[in-house]
Amino acid sequence: MSFTSLPFLVLVGLSVAVYYLLPQRVQWMVLLAASMVFYCVGGGRTVLYVFYTAATVYVAGRLLGRYNDLRRAAPKEEKKAVTAKYKPYRRAVVLFACLANFVLLYVLKYWNFTADLLQPLADTLAPGSQIPLSELVLPLGISFFMFQSVGYVIDVYRDKYPPEKNFAKLLLFVSFFPQMVQGPISRFDQLEPQLLAGRKLDFTDLKYGIQLAMWGYFKKMVIADRAAVLVGNVLDEPWSHSGSVIAVGVLFYCIQLYGDFSGGIDITRGVARMFGIDLAENFRRPLYATSLTDFWRRWHITLGAWMRDYVFYPLSLSKPFGKLGKFTRKHVKGKLGKIIPTSLATFIIYFIIGIWHGANWRYVAFGFWNGAIITASLLLAPQFLKWKQALHINDKSLGWYLFQLARTNILVFFGRYITRAPRFLTAVWMVKETFLHPNLPDLYNGTLLTLGLTGSDFLILFAGVATMLGAEWYQEKRGHIRPMLERRSPFVQWLAILVPLAVLFCFGVLRADYISSDFIYKQF
Amino acid sequence: MSSKKWFALFVATVVVLGAGVLGFNWLVDPYGVFHHKTLSWPSYEMTLNPRAAKMTYIEDHHQEYDSYLLGCSSTSSFPVEALNEYLDADFYNMIMYGADMLDVEQEAVWLLENAEVKNLVINVYLDNAKDYDTLPDPALSYAMPPATTGENAAAFLAKYLFMDPRHSLDKLTAMAQDTYLTQTFDVFNTQTGAYDKIVRDAEPIGNMDEYLEAYPVFANYPQASNDIHEDAVTGTLDSLARIRDLCAEKGVNFLVLCAPVYADYMDYFDWDQVSDFYTRLAQVTPYWDFSYSSVSFEPRYFYDETHFRNCVGEMALARVFGDDSIYIPEDFGVYVTTDNVQEHVAKMAQAAPLAEEDYTAQVPVLMYHHLDQEGNDDIVITPQLFEEHMAALAQAGYTAVFPDELAAYVNEGKALPDKPVVITFDDGYLSNYEYAWPILQKYGMKATIFVIGSTMGDTEHYKDTDYPITPHFSAQQGAEMVASGVISLQSHTYDMHQWGPYEDTDQPRENILPLEGESEEDYRESLSADCQAIRQVLGETGEESVHVMAYPGGYFDTLSQVTLLENGFDITFTTQVGCNTLIKGHPQSLLGLHRYNMNQSVTVEQLLEWVSPARG
Amino acid sequence: MKEQLLAILTEAVPGVDFETETALVDDEILESLDIVTIVSEIKDAFDVEISVDDLVPENFNTVDAMLALIEARKE
Repeated sequence: MSFTSLPFLVLVGLSVAVYYLLPQRVQWMVLLAASMVFYCVGGGRTVLYVFYTAATVYVAGRLLGRYNDLRRAAPKEEKKAVTAKYKPYRRAVVLFACLANFVLLYVLKYWNFTADLLQPLADTLAPGSQIPLSELVLPLGISFFMFQSVGYVIDVYRDKYPPEKNFAKLLLFVSFFPQMVQGPISRFDQLEPQLLAGRKLDFTDLKYGIQLAMWGYFKKMVIADRAAVLVGNVLDEPWSHSGSVIAVGVLFYCIQLYGDFSGGIDITRGVARMFGIDLAENFRRPLYATSLTDFWRRWHITLGAWMRDYVFYPLSLSKPFGKLGKFTRKHVKGKLGKIIPTSLATFIIYFIIGIWHGANWRYVAFGFWNGAIITASLLLAPQFLKWKQALHINDKSLGWYLFQLARTNILVFFGRYITRAPRFLTAVWMVKETFLHPNLPDLYNGTLLTLGLTGSDFLILFAGVATMLGAEWYQEKRGHIRPMLERRSPFVQWLAILVPLAVLFCFGVLRADYISSDFIYKQF
Repeated sequence: MSSKKWFALFVATVVVLGAGVLGFNWLVDPYGVFHHKTLSWPSYEMTLNPRAAKMTYIEDHHQEYDSYLLGCSSTSSFPVEALNEYLDADFYNMIMYGADMLDVEQEAVWLLENAEVKNLVINVYLDNAKDYDTLPDPALSYAMPPATTGENAAAFLAKYLFMDPRHSLDKLTAMAQDTYLTQTFDVFNTQTGAYDKIVRDAEPIGNMDEYLEAYPVFANYPQASNDIHEDAVTGTLDSLARIRDLCAEKGVNFLVLCAPVYADYMDYFDWDQVSDFYTRLAQVTPYWDFSYSSVSFEPRYFYDETHFRNCVGEMALARVFGDDSIYIPEDFGVYVTTDNVQEHVAKMAQAAPLAEEDYTAQVPVLMYHHLDQEGNDDIVITPQLFEEHMAALAQAGYTAVFPDELAAYVNEGKALPDKPVVITFDDGYLSNYEYAWPILQKYGMKATIFVIGSTMGDTEHYKDTDYPITPHFSAQQGAEMVASGVISLQSHTYDMHQWGPYEDTDQPRENILPLEGESEEDYRESLSADCQAIRQVLGETGEESVHVMAYPGGYFDTLSQVTLLENGFDITFTTQVGCNTLIKGHPQSLLGLHRYNMNQSVTVEQLLEWVSPARG
Repeated sequence: MKEQLLAILTEAVPGVDFETETALVDDEILESLDIVTIVSEIKDAFDVEISVDDLVPENFNTVDAMLALIEARKE
């Protein structure tokens, strides 16, 4: 069930209405019911995977909770002994929960990739053998709900909060429908109380929710869906285009990706807000990032945070890394020696983020690209500082800021070559073409108009992107837009309803690929 | 503004905008599914979705029809007019583009249960063996109405209510652009249900090279993936069997036709599968098979690779109903039953094109105007040279023929003389009467004079003016010539060949093209009135049938040609130069005939060279 | 102890007035990388065991919170 489909809007409208009509203590059941409907319509039988994940983390959570209680209940003098006694059990349980989910995720999402890799090996060991491939359907949003659920188990393991005792309530946390498709990856202690709280109808929630969702729809339908037409035409078969057209295709892909992902998140957060629920921010104007690290703090924030809390910290503080740190500090002089382990951990994190996106060499390369640049910038930071001083660059100047923005966006831009190319090697070729055979006249001789978008589509897209960047600039530099709007006259406020609706309808709902009616039978 | 107010305003705006869009779709109803008469335009709606819009139309008009023709788009060319005549019935052509046999069955069942049906004629096209139970894109155009499928009616209508309103907007735009002639958005004839082919059927067709140039698809037929699928065959035959049984139960006359298939298209089928399909079809029902014969090899009998022309449909129906008054190729159409199917299929595999000379003729046409002692290089020839021309033709064995004889060749397959030539005179000068007529008689020739009605008998002055005029023969003189059997008088229009400088108007009608700024309706009325007038005038001379026209100045366009055909002028001459190819069974080969302009500069040698391709 | 901690902090992240800041993590003055660096320095300098569970913003938002954490883990 796509966000842009009518059934989704009906589902949201109905569940919001029923939600506020029912007594507060059962409101969460409406959310659960809506989530099940959403998943069954969108994912069919793969809803079983949701139950599977919910069941594994439920059981693990309850077990861990019991150990935590025992430890807490123990008298002070026995605490250490009790802790030591249960430590292996707790570890086993948390390991079980993680494996139960990640192994399944691996089989569903990564097995075929591995099988392809291993096939040559199998050929040498046992000629003629065929490593069986998985034919299972990848369930909707599996990477999101599994990570979110595993985070819950680890938190319970760390005794951050007691486990959820009601399976249905935990199932709601795992499957809360607005965030099923593309996140954000929420934290139990932030989301669950809100899911269960129950609320009186507050029209401000509805208003803010609707506004945010409309903004999301604008980004998704007017901008991303339109850009997607050109992106598909250029990058599905890049070899039939010149370097500059490929670059335009990748640029449009950046626009499409951001519009689609952040727009989807805005819709998610908007819908949740209609139920009075605040979901974690997942984007903070990544275009205004000053470094690649900053970019990843602003892009898909909840994934980054998840990786930090559940991978980066444990990895950095693990014994092997501790030993590595001691070793490097002893043998490498200065700051460098201190940050080598951290840099290694950083590299690993970005590598994982890369393959989190999908099982493919391109994502491996994408992780490598990000990890390498960020690690390099860490290791070379002292050197850069020296250069900056030598060149008398003022950190606070606008010029330096703009330079940083440009640098970051260019790095991101070339990263996108990797993720959108049909194959990794094609991405390398595409970059080469961009520099070696750009054929610049293609940018103004009308070639761009043959790629599926009309002149007016380009205008709409341009206006859309300008609106988006303008709004983000305002948010980045001045603050929230809503209060500014609320000071205006009712008429202007009404226009702020009408115009977006009309724009959404005319340039979003009415798709750019409309085929007019006089197409069907031309042979008379 | 409070949030509550904002929310109310938002909901109100959404409701109003939404209702506006839905209301717009409902009101304009481009697919003809909502059964209301506002802005109704059946031809447009049928074009967008023939399945839904035709049923909507039949619901309102079933009392006007008692018989139905069903099938995919090639069904269109079995003319309902002919069926009406042969079966004394009122047929409606229910063709749906892209129809598979499931669509046909659903429609048939609906008709049999909801309308009074005397005859049900079904076209089984070879494509029915390729696909069954499919819904091609765009779905809005191919969806069967819920009354036939049992689908939820509300869900069906919702699709058309919630569709892109640009579909509705397009209908309004098309309304503004609508013309009398068929356009891409109104391809159906509302009254018959068939494709409205007035434009395509008014197009002059003759020479093969010109035809292939205009329709290159036939010259280089694209590879088609014609895979016959067992489940499609089974589905099609089962559907057909059910329709057959229901017809038997209801006492409805049931007839199955197999439409002609273009040879190159047939080549992409597997012949074993094809013969298997036809063999099994015979086990379901006897049928008239026209699919593969000499006709399949003649591209001029086809609109495009999968659609045969209306004229072919005429021949097919004549064969079915034993009408031998029109030409039908001998190998065209076999009544197939289980008894003869093996033999038929074997014979069909041997189908081959007819020899050119067996069904086409080459006919040169000479265009004279005025005879005078002083000839010129334009339109005047001396009686002496004219006589030499006639003598040379007679000497060389040429036989002059009337346009009616060309028509008899084309329509009835009647033989032409070995070396046919058509002699014509334009304008109706007195010199035709004084010099040409006697010479023609002397050499056993005959000629057609294209008379301008309004100047007939003007010997001194142009009409009512004081301007001098080259003398024109009178009705009386015309009658004498007609009576001799040597001359046929035909139309050069009554008054649409005016001489501008002599006319008391800013916009003289110098030819039959519409005047600048003239409305389509006014124009058609004027041309029709002119046709009546010339028919009236020439009829008074004793000319039996006035149905031939030479375009004044040679000018014509699609609208004029269509209007002339509607007024019964089915043979037309231009001033374009060249020999003419006539095709048996193809009335369009009588349109836009070429002529050689004859004047004092045309030597006998030149003449003999021009007429040399003549072949009867 | 405080001086020693401040020295560690200033070396890891120069240019920050650690004594006045009250939301070092929440305001993103300290990033995850810094925290890991600081933690490993603290472990070395004060010979304490700091586990992943301790890596929550509350423990690193202020210098005093960090001191409190170190004290607690010394026991």
